[in-house]
Amino acid sequence: MASSSYSNSPCAACKFLRRKCMPDCIFAPYFPPEEPQKFANVHKIFGASNVSKLLNEVQPHQREDAVNSLAYEAEARIKDPVYGCVGAISVLQRQVIRLQKELDATNADLIRYTCNEMTTLHDGRRIGEASSTFSQSPSAYYYPSPWNNDPCAGDAGFHRGGGNHM
Amino acid sequence: MTLKGGTTQACAACKFQRRKCTPECLLAPYFPADQPKVFLNVHKLFGVSNIVKILKDVDPSQKKNAMESIIVQASYRDKYPVRGCVEEICRLQNQIWLHEEELHAVYQQLEMCRQHQQQQHQGIHHVVPDDLASQLELGMAPRAANNALPLFNHAPQPQQQQQQVYNTSVAALPVSQQHSYSNSNSVDYNSLYIESKENNNNGTNPLWVPYANNNGSPIAMQSQMVTSQALSMHQEAAGDYDEMHPFFETIDDRQSYIYSKEAYESSSEESLKDSRKCTEHVAENELKSAAACFSLTSVN
Repeated sequence: MASSSYSNSPCAACKFLRRKCMPDCIFAPYFPPEEPQKFANVHKIFGASNVSKLLNEVQPHQREDAVNSLAYEAEARIKDPVYGCVGAISVLQRQVIRLQKELDATNADLIRYTCNEMTTLHDGRRIGEASSTFSQSPSAYYYPSPWNNDPCAGDAGFHRGGGNHM
Repeated sequence: MTLKGGTTQACAACKFQRRKCTPECLLAPYFPADQPKVFLNVHKLFGVSNIVKILKDVDPSQKKNAMESIIVQASYRDKYPVRGCVEEICRLQNQIWLHEEELHAVYQQLEMCRQHQQQQHQGIHHVVPDDLASQLELGMAPRAANNALPLFNHAPQPQQQQQQVYNTSVAALPVSQQHSYSNSNSVDYNSLYIESKENNNNGTNPLWVPYANNNGSPIAMQSQMVTSQALSMHQEAAGDYDEMHPFFETIDDRQSYIYSKEAYESSSEESLKDSRKCTEHVAENELKSAAACFSLTSVN
């Protein structure tokens, strides 16, 4: 039996495809013979030629990441033929939306409290409706929210992981 | 390539393959002729034969959903050639972690404000002031400033902690232990699995289809229906964060301070309708126009 670069046994891909595993086999570094299912899944969903083309298009130092992501996506598609890994994305997106709404609501409460305290301190009396104080909210206590583009409060010192990094 | 004697244009799939597009073409409903890029992405990642295989394996009522998810998956691979959907998943998980940290800090601030307010009330009840303003000002002013300041002195998370976040936050998600694929940088692939299949069985799972606009911010599209099953799915996912952040339990207790469930559903639909309008205006390439056409309907 032909050997791969540094081992005696062919890689999982060449074993699966029943072909000679050459020293320059593009699959060999990423599909060890101990993990036959990994290549089987990837081959089932994407096909060996597509994977080979994809690996040739990325840098060598990125190929391991590419293979692992393909293996993950293939396994997700096998587990869930309808949605695959996209189902996970939808779950996470809903979670992000929920957290953003919760953050906005909590920030609004915080603003209400701080405004009430400010007016209590300055006027010596409480203003009932928080909404009436929002227009007077001091900018120094405004907490930037992803739901508006207000760049106020200068550097709040909070690193925000938004969607603008792509 | 057009049909002989007909006016129907060949679908993008048949155009690419230079073959006749028959009325029975499996791919024609999903790849209109004016969106060749969509099919190119799918063809590059999956290939025609694999797509047909996948379609044959799913229930006929789910074919549309399956094809749409394939299109989304291929679009992510086009956008992120190295890691594809995994890149988006990691980005979302990081975003969730950051939001949770912010929420935690804000709740702490809120709690301090409430305690401060209670102390103010107790101060008013215990003392009968002649001059109310002077009593309130006594020893109170500095505390208000001190309570507000820490929020803005919160230091950004160091890069090292963000690295760990990928592993800890994904570890809180339901893990389907399969194979150890991870030899690479910071992604624990074992922990990326999110069990949503049980919620998909009824076919009513709405699918978010994020596409980036020119500025890079994701535009989310929602299906027509937001069902209670969808909410239970993300609530289930939210519950999985209890291990990493105990404060999530307290967040659930503070229902009076967040939108009610009904308000959330209606407001989420409204916000998603707005986002859908935004996507309808984005027409930079065929992929984005495909996103505008993307919508799921509930399937019984």
